[in-house]
Amino acid sequence: MSDPAAPLLEMRGIVKQFPGVRALDGVDLTVRAGEVHCLLGQNGAGKSTLIKVLAGAHDVDEGTILWEGEPISFADPLAAIATGVATIYQELDLIDGLSVADNIFLGHELARGGITRDSDMNKRARQLLARLGHPEIRPTREVGSLSAAGKQIVSMARALSHDARVIVMDEPSAVLDPDEVDGLFQVVDDLRASGTAIIYISHRLEEIRRIGDRLTVLKDGRTVATDLPAKETSTADLVQLMTGRTVSSVFPRRTTELPDAAPLLTVDGISRDREFHDVSFAVRPGEIVGIAGLVGAGRSEIIETIYGARRATRGSVTVEGKRLRNGSVDAAVAAGVGLCPEERKSQGLVLDDAVYRNISLASLERFSRYGITTEAAERRAARQVATSVDIRPDAPDRIVRTLSGGNQQKVVLARWLLRSCKVLLLDEPTRGVDVGARAEIYTLIRELADSGVALVIVSSDIDEVLGLSDRVLVVADGHVVHEGPSDAIDASGVLDRILATHDDQQMIQGDGDAA
Amino acid sequence: MSTIHPRRRRAFALVGAFAAATLVLGACTNGSDDGDTSSAIGKSNTDNDKSGKKVVIGFSAPAADHGWMGSITKSAVAQAKKYDDIELKVAEGTNDVNLQISQVETFINDKVDAIVLLPFDGAAMTAVARKAMDAGIVVINVDREFDSPFAARTTVLGDNYGMGVSAGTYVCDQAKGDKNKVVAEIAGIDSLPLTQDRSKGFADALKKCGLKVNNRVAAEFTVESGEKAASNLLQAAPKIDYLWNHDDDQGVGVLAAIKNANRDEFVMIGGAGSANVMRDIKADNTVLKATVIYPSTQAADGIKLARLLVQGKSMSDLAEIEVPREVKLSAPVVTKDNVDTYLPSAFES
Amino acid sequence: MSTVQQEESTEVTKTRGDSGGSLGVVRNLGLVIALVILCVVGVMTSGDQFASKDNVITILRLASVVGVVSIGMTFVITGGGIDLSVGAILALSSVWATTTGTQSMADDYGWIVMVLSALLVGTACGLINGIVIAYGKVVPFIATLAMLASARGLAEIIADRKTQIIRNQGFTDFFGAEPLGIPVIVIMFALVVVGGWFLLNRTTFGRRTFAVGGNPEAARLAGIKVQRHTVYLYALAGLTCGIAAVMLMSRTTTGSSTHGTLLELDAIAAVVIGGTLLSGGRGTVVGTLFGVLIFTTLTNVFTLNNLSTSSQNVAKGVIIVVAVLLQQRIANRKT
Repeated sequence: MSDPAAPLLEMRGIVKQFPGVRALDGVDLTVRAGEVHCLLGQNGAGKSTLIKVLAGAHDVDEGTILWEGEPISFADPLAAIATGVATIYQELDLIDGLSVADNIFLGHELARGGITRDSDMNKRARQLLARLGHPEIRPTREVGSLSAAGKQIVSMARALSHDARVIVMDEPSAVLDPDEVDGLFQVVDDLRASGTAIIYISHRLEEIRRIGDRLTVLKDGRTVATDLPAKETSTADLVQLMTGRTVSSVFPRRTTELPDAAPLLTVDGISRDREFHDVSFAVRPGEIVGIAGLVGAGRSEIIETIYGARRATRGSVTVEGKRLRNGSVDAAVAAGVGLCPEERKSQGLVLDDAVYRNISLASLERFSRYGITTEAAERRAARQVATSVDIRPDAPDRIVRTLSGGNQQKVVLARWLLRSCKVLLLDEPTRGVDVGARAEIYTLIRELADSGVALVIVSSDIDEVLGLSDRVLVVADGHVVHEGPSDAIDASGVLDRILATHDDQQMIQGDGDAA
Repeated sequence: MSTIHPRRRRAFALVGAFAAATLVLGACTNGSDDGDTSSAIGKSNTDNDKSGKKVVIGFSAPAADHGWMGSITKSAVAQAKKYDDIELKVAEGTNDVNLQISQVETFINDKVDAIVLLPFDGAAMTAVARKAMDAGIVVINVDREFDSPFAARTTVLGDNYGMGVSAGTYVCDQAKGDKNKVVAEIAGIDSLPLTQDRSKGFADALKKCGLKVNNRVAAEFTVESGEKAASNLLQAAPKIDYLWNHDDDQGVGVLAAIKNANRDEFVMIGGAGSANVMRDIKADNTVLKATVIYPSTQAADGIKLARLLVQGKSMSDLAEIEVPREVKLSAPVVTKDNVDTYLPSAFES
Repeated sequence: MSTVQQEESTEVTKTRGDSGGSLGVVRNLGLVIALVILCVVGVMTSGDQFASKDNVITILRLASVVGVVSIGMTFVITGGGIDLSVGAILALSSVWATTTGTQSMADDYGWIVMVLSALLVGTACGLINGIVIAYGKVVPFIATLAMLASARGLAEIIADRKTQIIRNQGFTDFFGAEPLGIPVIVIMFALVVVGGWFLLNRTTFGRRTFAVGGNPEAARLAGIKVQRHTVYLYALAGLTCGIAAVMLMSRTTTGSSTHGTLLELDAIAAVVIGGTLLSGGRGTVVGTLFGVLIFTTLTNVFTLNNLSTSSQNVAKGVIIVVAVLLQQRIANRKT
């Protein structure tokens, strides 16, 4: 064994470039054997990219990686694994159709002459799962049938099966309940004691305090601070480091007085079996109503029902005094309602089409006569909106896929701007958007509200909901458990309301930062 | 009545078991079997046609993706229906040799008395035909020859070389010794031996009167290919006196191309002898003045010969006791003068 | 409460492969029932004729050629691809193995030369497919469509569109033999099925095939060389085409550029009704075997009953749609 004080893994000036975005822009990271090194950063700070680099899934454009002081390159995942770096992703590395044991040993199957030794693999898998505190997961079970937490355990068992010297854990607690988190930390402690280095990625400060030794903060693809003591660094300092500004300055506050007008959108007692019950609220022009709650509380379901994408079993939705036909997106759109869905890529955008065509998608009838579109008018209008929301690069013909997350979100917003809709429903508007662009989107939302649009915003990020909205609805288990002005409640107050209906404290801050 | 029918009825029940849709289609197919060609098959004036020992005959041919080929099966089925002592098992049209082999194997398993076989590929079907012969089954090879004399008892062939000779001789007769006439030819699939034989016969016959083929293109026996080849040919040859087209199916396309090009300065001779071509000849209002027959009744002849062979009879108008080993059918020229003789037996393309 | 334990358990072997278990049995049961119904219909309509040993052998012989190709296709489809070129590769292999050049070499060194050249040509075509798809990043549908056109074209050029007759008596004798009453090509088919089953379910290669087809990115992150594996899969499919070429050569005693026309459609149909997911990640060799047997038995029953191939094709189409609908039902019930 080498000198425990000497760095096991060292990364210097790592740069990784993607079309349209510089994902890593000079990352430094030093990891020693037997430590838990926490990696902190907001969405889009470059954490996921850094993990991929460590796993050999991305090659770097610049910078060096040293392993026990020797330069090394992780040309492909096999090289990383062979060197001794194992990575636990969030689910994306499992094959649903294969068994637990098959997944654990995928790529390094126990086999003799290419013939698999299934019973040996099942036996080893059972040992690994027991070590992780989950002996009840049978090695022969199909991974596709496991819950998210179960899959996480399988991922971890796979990392253990490699006997790796560095284990990268990407938000391992995101899908675990508190008991399971305790089990996880027990495993992490054992690994640390045996000299394994852990790179622990999370944005939950309390976890980092509990388990971490040292920490490194990433922002906008750069290391902004490294080798900080995990237990002593103050929360305020960390927030400052991660965001580059204080929390309160991020959200543009209302500058004008909310006009005292009749509600634009009225939701009256809508329900859907087993999803949500008796939700009522009203939004006036220029008002922003936020919906806070945990994943699975029914937030997205509520706004999709308002939009008509789901059919309400009871209740009604009224826009400008006109009741919308239940379960009809057409009716909602005709009445001036727009939705920016949560799954932007799969639900919101035609990824391989041009920016301007994505923007004009909901307003095509404006540019067409007898079903024939007039391209020039379409382009001109789309371009105007694209400029007003500042989509970068300023190239309407660019394929949407090549844009960064923030700019993709702006394309979706631009679409509804062009349609000049009266009510806009935003589901997770900043998921997968980096910090800089996030602030721009906040500003855009503010401007929309100021222009008289009624907005409903759903987000897992409680601070975001509170910071943006005038009024907040707290949803838990499909019920509205609190409604009131946003400035009369803070994040912990929201959590208290949620937890009052939850005996088990599931996720504290939801799954918001999964991207 | 034919003995095919009870089996047909059972067959309908079977089809129903799979899908109603199949039933409809099956009914259509079967309904069209006794088509217009039945009237064409003449009877000889001997007691050979008297009912005799029951003969089970298996019949297999390529897919009917061509008018001539469709007529082969139709006329064979029609011929079999004329005899109440024939039970015909039709394994219908396939261009998959693997499947056609399996059809013959099924006939062998069924212990049929005779097999009439128009192979998709003569050479590829030789082995299984030999197997049938070894099993004591009389095999009649139609049109496309096996590559072993042991694989068939009797072979019925059209005369491809003879077709070319007939067409060439007709051109010579029309040219009346003028050696400056321009002759064009639209052949079928060039790599097939039958096409090569037809072209050779044509060239040989023209040579006798001092003519030669001035322009030659090859098509692929389909309407589409005929149109394409003819368009090119008409571009290449601004003036033509005689045009021989090997195949009346592709001829539909050839005629379309001629019409599009507004050409009528030449005489066109067809090949194979489809009914619509013969009607054109009779009407005498197109460039088409003659066609050379390649009989589509070969398989029907095969059925008749198979019955004779199994029943131990001989061909009535031959002194010979045994049925001949090979029957090569003649390739007559049909013109306006004799078209009424051939029109009833012509195939619809 | 632990979320891990909440859900009903599902044994992997039941859905993934052939090792039995409830879901697998249910699906294979459907196939078995279909086959049994066909056989009952066969016996009802053709009686002893259908049930005779000779007829069973006839069905198996017919099944052998398409069957071997379908096994190769099972691997390609399970691995997330598709191969449209199998029929053309078969044709090219059969032509290459029966040129006068190959045949005269076979006279000198034995008929094994013909067998080896068929296998080599098939594998080489598959390799080209695989390389173009894995490294050239051409969509499998397009890459193999290109191979379909060019392999058959090359076969036509080499054979000059003529049928090449096999003169080597040793070859025809060996592959035409029927030890213990079972034709050699049926034995070959059986070996390919057993070998294919073993390879897919009992080897690292098979395990990785599921991974590559189910989630290529995850497979890559697990250290599997996805591109190389893809090449192997197409090469394997090519090899089965070579084997099928030898079988068809023995059946027809010829090599021809028209051999194997539209074989790809029969093979894909058999694989899909067998229960292999067209999108990859799940595959079953036993299911494919049943798929092939169902289609060939269907053909046989129709032939025995004097029914036209046209109505047979309609029945085939109906069976494919019904099988895929059933498959979706089962898949939905699972989730």
